[in-house]
Amino acid sequence: MDRYQFEDAISAYLDNELNLSDRQAFEAYMDANPDAKALVNDIRATMKSIKGMPKVKASSAFMPNLYKRIEFEKNRPSKKIVERPSKTLFGFTPLYAGVMTVLIASFITVGVNLWPETNPTGQQIPAFTGNVTPTPANPVAAPNSTPSPTLVANETVADTADTTIIKKKKFQLNDKVQFVKDQR
Amino acid sequence: MDNQFRYTDEELIARFQEGDEQAYVELVNRYRDRLMTFVFRFVNDMEQAEDIVQDALLKLYTHKHYYKNIAKFSTWMYTIAGNLAKTELRKKKSHKTTNLSQMGPEDRDYELPAVEPDTDEVAQSEYIEKKIQAAIQRLPLHFRTVTILRDIQELSYEEISKIVDVPLGTVKSRINRARLQLQKDLKDLK
Repeated sequence: MDRYQFEDAISAYLDNELNLSDRQAFEAYMDANPDAKALVNDIRATMKSIKGMPKVKASSAFMPNLYKRIEFEKNRPSKKIVERPSKTLFGFTPLYAGVMTVLIASFITVGVNLWPETNPTGQQIPAFTGNVTPTPANPVAAPNSTPSPTLVANETVADTADTTIIKKKKFQLNDKVQFVKDQR
Repeated sequence: MDNQFRYTDEELIARFQEGDEQAYVELVNRYRDRLMTFVFRFVNDMEQAEDIVQDALLKLYTHKHYYKNIAKFSTWMYTIAGNLAKTELRKKKSHKTTNLSQMGPEDRDYELPAVEPDTDEVAQSEYIEKKIQAAIQRLPLHFRTVTILRDIQELSYEEISKIVDVPLGTVKSRINRARLQLQKDLKDLK
């Protein structure tokens, strides 16, 4: 045990909180160092003096004054006396909990509405065909239906490496759109 | 009223929470002087100590339902009184009054009232008390609190740890350092 360890353990020694081996080491250090022993005795005497100080008593006016103050609090218009604290939800009073819930719901609603629309299934949105009436998704499923004359603007892309070229959409126009003779 | 002495503090506060005002009176009788000793040793002003203890006991009356039976009643009471005392000391400090603890070592010869050691035993013990009280006032606040609670109020380390809301090891260390400082300050008393 060195001096620092000794000084750190003085209170634990005086309060009888050291285990047996630490206590033996502490006492061995004291036996080897008379000044350390004198320090412990001084601290013990100081503690005894502090404990021996007289207890402080309240004056005779204490209780009447306290009752006066209690009466004042009872009759105060804005009563300070808490009859029973209100119950809380996760640390919030019901009022604040309600306000917080409304705010969070509003935030979510606004957030969802502002979110850019995406197709949740990941399917491509079909290009506009000009067809007002719905067409069967699978032509094989409707073999009797007569194919309507359609104009397909199917231009091949010459150079796919050129990213400046905008892919042209295929137009599938049904008979509701009629073209006049091509002037060219 | 006689059988109220059989009740623990926790039972009394439970009765008071149910509306029994006699239980409050009993709690006040139990804690008034204990809190007076604690607060007076802390602030070193009798009038101020009475005000603070009254505030603490008034708080017990007005906020009785805030006590939950998960801690000892004494811990709750000491915490309230200690917090009020610290608040008062801070206010006092902000008013720039001269504090004994702010004096330099050269001022310390003049800090005690002119009570000279006397052959009279009472005067002697008063002198010693004032000397110790002055030494306690020179301790930093966090040392002062734990020292009073341990060496004057004789509370356990565990209870002190809960009152001041610091870990047990810190409480032990603060008490040890405070005792070393007091021993240095009060060397001439021996």
